[in-house]
Amino acid sequence: MATALHNQERLPEYLNTQLAIAVRSIQWSYAIFWSISDRQPGVLEWGNGYYNGDIKTRKTVQSIELKEDELGLQRSEQLRELYESLSVGEASPQARRPSAALSPEDLTDTEWYYLVCMSFVFDIGEGLPGTTLANGHPTWLCNAHSADSKVFSRSLLAKTVVCFPFMRGVVEMGVTEQVLEDPSLIQHIKESFLEIPYTVAKNSSARSDKELACATFNREILDTRPIPAVECGELDISSPNGNSNGQPAADSIMVEGLNGGASQVQSWQFMDDDFSNCVHHSLNSSDCISQTIVDPVKVAPIFKNGKVNDQSLQDVQDRNHTKLTALDLRNDDLHYHSVLSCLLKTSHPLILGPNVQNCRQESSFVSWKKAGLVHTHKLNSGTPQEVLKKILFEVPRMHVDGLLDSPEHNSNKVVVGRPEADEIGASHVLSERKRREKLNKRFMILKSIVPSISKVDKVSILDDTIEYLQELERKVEELESSRELLEARTKGKPLDTVERTSDNYGSNKIGNGKNSLTNKRKAPDIDKMDPDINHNVSKDGSADNITVSMNKEYLLIEIKCVWRDGILLEIMDVAGHLHLDSHSVQSSTIDGILSLTIKSKHKGLNAVSISTIKQALQRVAEKC
Amino acid sequence: MENSTQDSLLRLENTVTYESPYPLYAMAISSTPSRTNQYHQRIALGSFIEDYNNRIDILSFDPETLSIKTHQNLSLEHPYPPTKLMFSPSSVKKSNDLLASSGDYLCLWEVRDSASVKPVSVLNNSKTSEFCAPLTSFDWNDIEPKRIVTCSIDTTCAVWDIEKGAVETQLIAHDNEVYDIAWGEARVFASVSADGSVRRFDLRDKEHSTIIYESPRPDTPLLRLAWNKQDLRYMATILMDSNKVVILDIRYPTIPVAALERHRSSVNAIAWAPQSCRHICSAGDDSQALIWELPTLAGPNGIDPISMFSAASEINQLQWSAALPDWIAIAFSNKMQLLKV
Repeated sequence: MATALHNQERLPEYLNTQLAIAVRSIQWSYAIFWSISDRQPGVLEWGNGYYNGDIKTRKTVQSIELKEDELGLQRSEQLRELYESLSVGEASPQARRPSAALSPEDLTDTEWYYLVCMSFVFDIGEGLPGTTLANGHPTWLCNAHSADSKVFSRSLLAKTVVCFPFMRGVVEMGVTEQVLEDPSLIQHIKESFLEIPYTVAKNSSARSDKELACATFNREILDTRPIPAVECGELDISSPNGNSNGQPAADSIMVEGLNGGASQVQSWQFMDDDFSNCVHHSLNSSDCISQTIVDPVKVAPIFKNGKVNDQSLQDVQDRNHTKLTALDLRNDDLHYHSVLSCLLKTSHPLILGPNVQNCRQESSFVSWKKAGLVHTHKLNSGTPQEVLKKILFEVPRMHVDGLLDSPEHNSNKVVVGRPEADEIGASHVLSERKRREKLNKRFMILKSIVPSISKVDKVSILDDTIEYLQELERKVEELESSRELLEARTKGKPLDTVERTSDNYGSNKIGNGKNSLTNKRKAPDIDKMDPDINHNVSKDGSADNITVSMNKEYLLIEIKCVWRDGILLEIMDVAGHLHLDSHSVQSSTIDGILSLTIKSKHKGLNAVSISTIKQALQRVAEKC
Repeated sequence: MENSTQDSLLRLENTVTYESPYPLYAMAISSTPSRTNQYHQRIALGSFIEDYNNRIDILSFDPETLSIKTHQNLSLEHPYPPTKLMFSPSSVKKSNDLLASSGDYLCLWEVRDSASVKPVSVLNNSKTSEFCAPLTSFDWNDIEPKRIVTCSIDTTCAVWDIEKGAVETQLIAHDNEVYDIAWGEARVFASVSADGSVRRFDLRDKEHSTIIYESPRPDTPLLRLAWNKQDLRYMATILMDSNKVVILDIRYPTIPVAALERHRSSVNAIAWAPQSCRHICSAGDDSQALIWELPTLAGPNGIDPISMFSAASEINQLQWSAALPDWIAIAFSNKMQLLKV
């Protein structure tokens, strides 16, 4: 096409406004001016830009608001500022980031994309802007999202991108919808707003009217689309099914479905058949654009009557959808992601934020919605934190209580508290727990005191304690009585002593031990002795009195002698030597006099006579 | 509405579920890759059966194929439910993985790949007879991997040297049962208790502890504690019967820096992100797992989570391991799910 561009000198500051006006007039999403870099010849870099797309922080989002041009300019400025601040941050991590009016969280995906574009550079001939500059013609890329990454790698945002050379660079404009290629649009832009005279061959005023009409159609359609392409009250990017919902493809802000299929850049060639029919309706352009698309994917055709054909739209969606292959973000978005990660100094999707995260379908998490009571949640009627509480409160008890003391008891207590998932329930559990805890502590103390306890369970602890106590009582009584006897002797009250002692042997005995002990001993009761036993007991407590009485095999020995150290042992020794098996020994010492009563059984073959025993014992007693 | 259910269906493709024959509570993810296949991650699951016979099962998870394998030989018996499970930290340069469990005692097990798991030691603190106060929780020190600190219902915390198999220190930490404990640095740990306080202990000064926080209503037990290992200034704790996750800054004791209050019922588990210092995940009785990002400045309405996941029933356990930073493991009723972040 013969284009005559007037390389008018244009002051840079107007460029911004011009871009703004231009993009707003056709209601596209953004316009970028790539300028030939001064620093690096042969390279295109970001010159200026205007962002006209969706903004997150505005709650009532319309994609196009003509009267808010001020806002738009400001927004673009803010985005630029933010980019700068982030890159400063990246370059010198120590430096505090200069504050920008916006922070990363405030941006929509499209804004992010726009921001990231600021980092791109293109060699001449590389990328869409590069090739445009090289060719010198405008290029119109439909289906940008499915473009080959060599051609157009920033394929996250725009579905349609148009580049045309302008002055010392390339103007790029993009929109998140599919827009049919329309060179007249470009002319329109150039002419009306950028004030570049543009002559198109074979142009007739009539045609230009039609083209204008087409342009108008575009606008109308954009207006009448029930859901503007870029509506997002909240950051609900997570609609990978946006495409398949039957809504126009334009609805999804992020192009999640990156088609595996490639599309080539349109150059000014004739279309293939699928397209020509549609296009011919709207533009009788034998001369103009055509697109070679490897996969005959229909873009949203715009028919002459201006109605969007939903049916074919549906087809488009379906085909798009079937071509959804696994996201290969690496290839397509490598630059985008790397820039993003540089900016945010991290490569983890979590931190890169929902912008990146949600475009990865892989996450199990969805964006949080405040009013998102999607699940009418069945509020549990049980105890809150039930399992956690059991693990902390009850499981340790299970260990302590042991098998015998059943956990059921404890859990029953908890059941009382369980239905009351409120204060009362909680304090029930608490007080129960405290009670149990106190009990257990005391059991442990008991266990540590009583030496004979070996087991941990409460029942054995108690049993052993009872035994121990009884044993202690016996000892105490024994000791007490012997003490009393001793006292009695010194004070000379033998009768008292006799009266005090209770014995099974009758009143003959002096210095008896405890009855209860004797009861326990499994000795045959020799208290009831046969009358033929002869024994003599002296009452007056004179020293060295030995009495031995025998009943069949059973012997009763009573000794009274002066106490000395070790005498008891010696007597027992003697008894042993005489083959006497003593099973009961009672002894007490009062006033230095030992009173000893031994019940024993004769073991051994030879019966020992009483006199022998007596003599032996006498010998011991008399030893000093 | 439909969008999000369709959404969640799609996203369910990226959750891996394991269904266990019994209810689960304790869970641990290994930091040591398996020797046979270095992409396999070992996960230990402890059962929660209110009875004497409980089990610990060890599974392998392959993040590439999104599959979970069980191993017949890697199953242990445990008396009563284990209260916590933990694998040895990555700083341990042992050939075989070590698994620690707490219950009546602190037990160490050696996991020999898929072959077998053998008990290594039973660490019993009691000096007299067999009785040892049961343990509610423990933590394994990343920097000094021979140290494990345990906490118990007898109000004490014990620091073990597991190589020697002996107690280094035992402290009376609180006035009441201690429920959770976490290491900060090599010699610093913090614990929470039924007395409602978070206390920080330094082994260099065992006489004193610092109270970092006390629950606003006295004697509201604090049930769980998580110390942000990426940024040691921050800790998170949860209270009994509360839907709040309280974030604390140890430089400013007693005043929480944030209270995350978006759960619709009480919170059961918390875990800081292993790869970021600003993210934390919480799960609770409302069946939701929420990921929060802590901003530098909170808005007036409080902090909202950035993303959420809804499980089928109340989530009782949550683990987010540095070995699998892209996955969060949750346990609810008798299922374990791995969620991709």
